[in-house]
Amino acid sequence: MKISKLLSIAWGNLKQRKLRTSLTTLGVVIGIATIIAIASLGEGFRGEIRQRMEQGFELDVLIIFPGSFTAGLAEGFNQTDVENIKNIDNVSLVTPLITMPLTKRMELRNSNTGKKLGAFTVGAVNFTEMRKILPLRFNVTRGKFPEQNEDQMIVPGYKASIVNETIIADVGDNVSLVTSTYTINFTVSGILAKGGTSGITNFDYWAFISIENALDMPFFKGKTDPYQIILVKVSESKYSETVAEEIENLFPPYSITVFVPTALMRQVDNILNLVQMFLMAIGSISLLVAGVGIMNIMTVAVMERTREIGILKAIGAKSRTVLGMFLAEALLIGVMGGFMGMFTGYGISYGLAQVLSNFIQPQRPLDAPAPEPQRMEITPVFSPQWAIIAFAFAITICIIFGLYPARKAAKLNPVEALRYE
Amino acid sequence: MRSLLEVRDIKKTYRMGKVLVPALRGVSFDVKAGEFLTIFGPSGSGKSTLLHLMGCLDRPDEGEIFIEGTNVLKLSDDKLAELRLTKIGFVFQFFNLLPRMTAVQNVELPLTIAGVSEREAKEKAKEMLRLVGLEARLNHKPFELSGGEQQRVAIARALINDPKIVLADEPTGNLDTKTGWEIVQLMKKLNEEKGQTFIVVTHDPQIAETAHRIVHLKDGLIEEIKEVSKRKTP
Repeated sequence: MKISKLLSIAWGNLKQRKLRTSLTTLGVVIGIATIIAIASLGEGFRGEIRQRMEQGFELDVLIIFPGSFTAGLAEGFNQTDVENIKNIDNVSLVTPLITMPLTKRMELRNSNTGKKLGAFTVGAVNFTEMRKILPLRFNVTRGKFPEQNEDQMIVPGYKASIVNETIIADVGDNVSLVTSTYTINFTVSGILAKGGTSGITNFDYWAFISIENALDMPFFKGKTDPYQIILVKVSESKYSETVAEEIENLFPPYSITVFVPTALMRQVDNILNLVQMFLMAIGSISLLVAGVGIMNIMTVAVMERTREIGILKAIGAKSRTVLGMFLAEALLIGVMGGFMGMFTGYGISYGLAQVLSNFIQPQRPLDAPAPEPQRMEITPVFSPQWAIIAFAFAITICIIFGLYPARKAAKLNPVEALRYE
Repeated sequence: MRSLLEVRDIKKTYRMGKVLVPALRGVSFDVKAGEFLTIFGPSGSGKSTLLHLMGCLDRPDEGEIFIEGTNVLKLSDDKLAELRLTKIGFVFQFFNLLPRMTAVQNVELPLTIAGVSEREAKEKAKEMLRLVGLEARLNHKPFELSGGEQQRVAIARALINDPKIVLADEPTGNLDTKTGWEIVQLMKKLNEEKGQTFIVVTHDPQIAETAHRIVHLKDGLIEEIKEVSKRKTP
């Protein structure tokens, strides 16, 4: 029998039992919809996380710390280290950083009002290089960065300059770094622009001075390894991990830690991927259940249509024709269910994305006050690849579970089938 | 010349639960091409079993069946299906039409199975329905037709593939006498006009007498094979 005819007969049979067919198909729709919803939602969620991480971490910037978990803290870096890193392939810029945490014994105050700035850390940097390395993050909102010839200038972060909505230090103000033994005066050159709400390069609570000024301070005088952090910009983020490896090779084992944002991102991506796969596996179970439903309903149909099968065989239908007729029904259920399931699943993922977007608030640093409410926008991604996989899966399940009842029908003895009441 | 159909010492036993019921206990006879033969006997004599075996719907426990000289019991199930499709037509007591299909669809079914194009199948089916006098009922479904009309559709279906042998199992058993006679008349007419061989199972002696020959069956054995000298005309 022609396949087109087989399908049209199967379609006629399905239409004859509309309620039964739609309920059986519904099972497949639910299974496929679940898988598609999880896939497209997961894809969208990953995209959002990726985007947030890209905003939080400059992917082309490596951050090098002295010491490691394995070997403990180490001294720091010096200019030779900086020069050595500069010589590595695909490294476009290297700049050292000195950090001074502000404590009770070291404070940053407005020289005139005596009010304490909101800063937690003083960072000593080369302003020009920092602007090149973090062009999006290292900008002033008011004033300007210090020129080469300007000395004893300071650039507080946005939240360092404002405490309780009152400006503590503005452009032109004098600010003093006060310790029990000495006081160093600075002039505010500019105020850093507001940073993001996440990532480790958020400088809102920092205040920056030039590295030369820091090295002149009594504490750093005569120190051989004064730098605590080295920032490295690679020419393209895809080189991050190879460059990181080469940097590690420059130092004794475990004496430094290189923070590679792309590696971290890959890890997070892997975890999200795993979670997505797990959820999809659960979704697949619902499709299996739908498969059992098909098997159940088709077994009943074979029993009901025993006599009909007998007639078909009596007038010359081969076993495989009968098999084909029943498999065609299973196939059609799979195709319909798969198709509707894809649309339903995508619809569900849109709805869920709206709900989730309202529920999930972005993470913020623990020490930071609550940021302005910011919605997490999850846009479901329709991936044709997943659509094809899910569709093929639906059809496969339907055929596999339809095979048993179809074979049962095909194997019926025609005489017994004709006698069946 | 060999006969169209040869039945050689056929035995068949059915199992009803734990009891073995011998349906046929050694039956042999020949059917010539173009013959109108009735198999006559009381119920339980093995008539239907014999018809099913001749129609290649089932296999005997012992014995041989030749159709046009071919030992059909040596053929595979698929080959038997092909044989049923091309050389044998069935007419049943309960018509056995597919309830969801129209008269035309039911009649074209064997052609559909054979893979004939839809247009050609439809044309032939209509022609065949005209031949059995149902040109006005082409698109009716079985439940919209009377018993006699349903049986005519079944006969049209049995004949659509132009089979050598038409096997009818109590074709009048579910019809009133008048309609039953009309069906017999139709079969006789087709036998005479198209030369097809008809083998009709019946327990009605009147209908049995319409044949060229009668095979009397009793308790799974042939009691006698009778030549009908004066055929009854319906």
